Amino acid sequence: MTDIALGVASFPVLLLLIFLRVPIGLAMFLVGLAGYYYLTGGMKLSFSILKSHTYSEFSSYSLSIVPMFLLMGHFATLGGMSTALFKAAEAFLGHRRGGVAMSAVGACAGFGAICGSSLATAATMGQVALPELRRYGYSGGFSTATLAAGGTLGILIPPSVILVIYATLTEQNIAKLFLAAFIPGILAAIGYMITISIYVHLHPKAAGVRPPVPMRARFKALSAVWPVLMVFLTVIGGINFGVFSPTEGAAVGAAGTGLIALFSGGLSWGTLGNSFLATGRNTAMIFFIIFGASFYNAFLARSGAPQALSDYIGNSGFSPWLILTIILVLYLVFGCIMDSLSMILLTIPIFWPIISTLDFGLNSTEELAIWFGIIVLIVVEVGLITPPVGMNLFVINSMDRKTPIADTYRAVVYFVASDMVRVVLLVAFPGITLFFLRVMA
Amino acid sequence: MTGYANGKHHALYRAVLRLSQLMAILGGIVLTGLIVLICISVAGRTMNTILHMTVIENSFPVLAKSLLDWGLGPILGEYEVVETSMPFAIMAFMPLCALTGGHASVDLFTLRMPARVNRAIDLIVAVLFAVCFVLITWRMYEGMAAKMRYNESTTLMQIPIWKAYAAALVAAAVTCVVSTYIVAVRLVESATGRVMLRNEGADY
Amino acid sequence: QEVTLKMHQFLPAQAAAPKLILDVWADKVEQQSGGKIKIERYPSMQLGGKPPELASQVVDGIADIIWTVTGYTPGRFPRSEAFEMPFIMTNAEDTSRAYWEYAEKNMLDTDFADMKMIGVWVHGPGVIHSKEPITSVEDLNGVKLRAPSRVTNKLFSKLGATPIGMPVPAVPESLSKGVIDAAVIPWEVTSALKVAELVGNHTEFGEDALYSTTFLFAMNKDTYDSMSDELKAVIDANSGADMSAWAGKIMQEADAPARKIAVDRGNNIINLTPEQVAEWKTVAASVEKDWVEEVSTDDFDGKALLEEAKALIAKHSK
Ligand code: NA
Ligand code: NA
Repeated sequence: MTDIALGVASFPVLLLLIFLRVPIGLAMFLVGLAGYYYLTGGMKLSFSILKSHTYSEFSSYSLSIVPMFLLMGHFATLGGMSTALFKAAEAFLGHRRGGVAMSAVGACAGFGAICGSSLATAATMGQVALPELRRYGYSGGFSTATLAAGGTLGILIPPSVILVIYATLTEQNIAKLFLAAFIPGILAAIGYMITISIYVHLHPKAAGVRPPVPMRARFKALSAVWPVLMVFLTVIGGINFGVFSPTEGAAVGAAGTGLIALFSGGLSWGTLGNSFLATGRNTAMIFFIIFGASFYNAFLARSGAPQALSDYIGNSGFSPWLILTIILVLYLVFGCIMDSLSMILLTIPIFWPIISTLDFGLNSTEELAIWFGIIVLIVVEVGLITPPVGMNLFVINSMDRKTPIADTYRAVVYFVASDMVRVVLLVAFPGITLFFLRVMA
Repeated sequence: MTGYANGKHHALYRAVLRLSQLMAILGGIVLTGLIVLICISVAGRTMNTILHMTVIENSFPVLAKSLLDWGLGPILGEYEVVETSMPFAIMAFMPLCALTGGHASVDLFTLRMPARVNRAIDLIVAVLFAVCFVLITWRMYEGMAAKMRYNESTTLMQIPIWKAYAAALVAAAVTCVVSTYIVAVRLVESATGRVMLRNEGADY
Repeated sequence: QEVTLKMHQFLPAQAAAPKLILDVWADKVEQQSGGKIKIERYPSMQLGGKPPELASQVVDGIADIIWTVTGYTPGRFPRSEAFEMPFIMTNAEDTSRAYWEYAEKNMLDTDFADMKMIGVWVHGPGVIHSKEPITSVEDLNGVKLRAPSRVTNKLFSKLGATPIGMPVPAVPESLSKGVIDAAVIPWEVTSALKVAELVGNHTEFGEDALYSTTFLFAMNKDTYDSMSDELKAVIDANSGADMSAWAGKIMQEADAPARKIAVDRGNNIINLTPEQVAEWKTVAASVEKDWVEEVSTDDFDGKALLEEAKALIAKHSK
């Protein structure tokens, strides 16, 4: 078997292991080990690589953002920010048709602005909003689907853990990626609200009604949101316009959110310890995938397979748009079964070199990297809510024991459709994503 | 948080859980320390900039000078401290993640397989994970020896790299212990057919 | 007999050093071997790992050939620091030739004992790129700057600046955000980082050179030993003093187009007079003294190494 064939053959083997429930990081590591074995006829090379591989993958200043943002999300919840956001959104939107669901989406968007992860956003807002939705007569399927979809805003709206990882993989500027994600994130929130209107129009029984809240109470609810706004402006504003690097922004944000949690009385030794445990568990999960993926990808690079694939596609004469479409469809298909982080870590080192050589009429490779990154981010995030395997669906559905998962599946299709519309828009008009970057340049 | 399914908490399980939690808390403390360090550095840099502004230098010359002479400014080696501390923090998070089945996996295709097959998969995965972690830890030890031999350090603060390796190595060793324990549990599960440790799945 | 060698380094393929030195060298070796040596090029750390690991990768055989900055692994190549002392280099070609001779005498059995050396060289004179003009040492007071090496960080601390540690790719963003006010790098690196667009002033030191950074280009020992005598001869013919001097010359030549970008933008290029430089050299002398004190042990004569480096540079600089 040639080296390239070995590299190509490793991929189905990897998928087989993953489908047999081998943890994804472990599967990539094992296939990488076996790959090196066949490539070099022994274990010597992989043993040499492993001397420093683990340390060097974990020893990253820019990736230290990941646990910091995760911790920040926990502090934000302890500080009551999720509740405050939902109450404020509900005060303004709750009395409309489908208004409580819209409030949930709005609160998800707000929480997404201070939390870097989708599942954390879904889970946190689920705890706050799900009981309210059910109380006002929203159907179980519709409520859970709304929150699952709303959760994806956690990663679309900056800060975003996955964008940090994409930035390190493609050597792009984290701050610029955050800036570019902003408009697509807002579009997503608006799209979900429109979806909710359509849904309640088609299924009038799926949503109850709630009386309006007096104006004074509305503004009182709004005034409780200031810590969220302050944290967002400090972190994202600070990174984009102001004074510090993304890592510094994450640290300042985590510290600030922690102080807010402390002063609001939500932070005790017990809750602090639990935040550490939850942050630690997720950090370990993410970095174990990073560890396995980089090991596997180094093997792939050595086999020459990605280079051969890139050359083949470059010489194939396919149109760039066709190639992009194929890649996006692949992400959608795999998104039905795999998590977004693993997909990004596994595929970007293969796909980005291909995309970077194609001409989409953009001004620079940087623009291309940012535009592609945002679209991929959205497509892989759709995977979180596409049946059958969508982590957000599972997390939210498990909070509502009375709702069968099939009900959630049926309702979430509308939100997936909204995502599809947005992807087509952003692919067709790169200027939407690149608007702020071009204005600031 | 515990992954113990049937509520019967063995003393051994409790000990392993405590150990994993202790490591994760240590990791959290280090992470918090880094956050505080970065905040101090940012504050120092901002103050340093302000004190060097002409207005301030002219209005409060003595104060500005003494504060600056005292060393008010960014922390020079902030970057290095973060990079040498992160491996320990992340490794310290590994035992808890392993024990509570926190690693991301795809269970769509195994859901409908018989319980016996799933138990076999659990056992094989546990063994593979333990073997891999022992391998990782052993190679990291060799890596530490090499860094020691070559005398490598960080640029500014000259922190010996091997010490950062050593810290991460301790946490990796704990993960080896925990993953060996999981293998033992899976063996008992296979023999008795009882489910003892649940996979909780990822929640990122 | 045919061999395939994997060449690994940290910069993108189109950067100056890979394009103008490493690839040219590899093409030449391939051609002179009559096609018996094939060199696969892996830019941007494609074989995995981070830049500081390159040195270990070539020792362990993860890569057959590597190019790296000695300063990426501080402490590992202590003798190379003599060539990074302030105001020690003349021009990159002659200094690189001197560096090879120095390395051959002092480093092949020590710092470089585990690798087969192809070349060692330095880049063109380092320049201060700053927002506010810097002519005197006094102008550095409180300037937050990013300096490239252990030695230069000490130098700028002594000069009154506030060094901030960060990797090179972070420089443009840090400059634009005001995290730093100045960056110290050779001209060649400024074009990729678009430094000329971010600062308006560039301080050069006339006939003198503020500092340089040392590079190493090396091969795995076992790989080399396993080659036939014929192919070894091809590698040998493309290693050593001439190769090093050529690489240094190309490095310095790559400065010109980048410098032109700044000139064309109308940036302020400050060229210090020998009198002005004298003030900087006084501080630099104390950095040398500190270094000698710090590194000297029973089997490491810092003073002698430094003197020898200076003598060799003088000998080769005509
Ligand atoms: Na977010
Ligand atoms: Na899915």
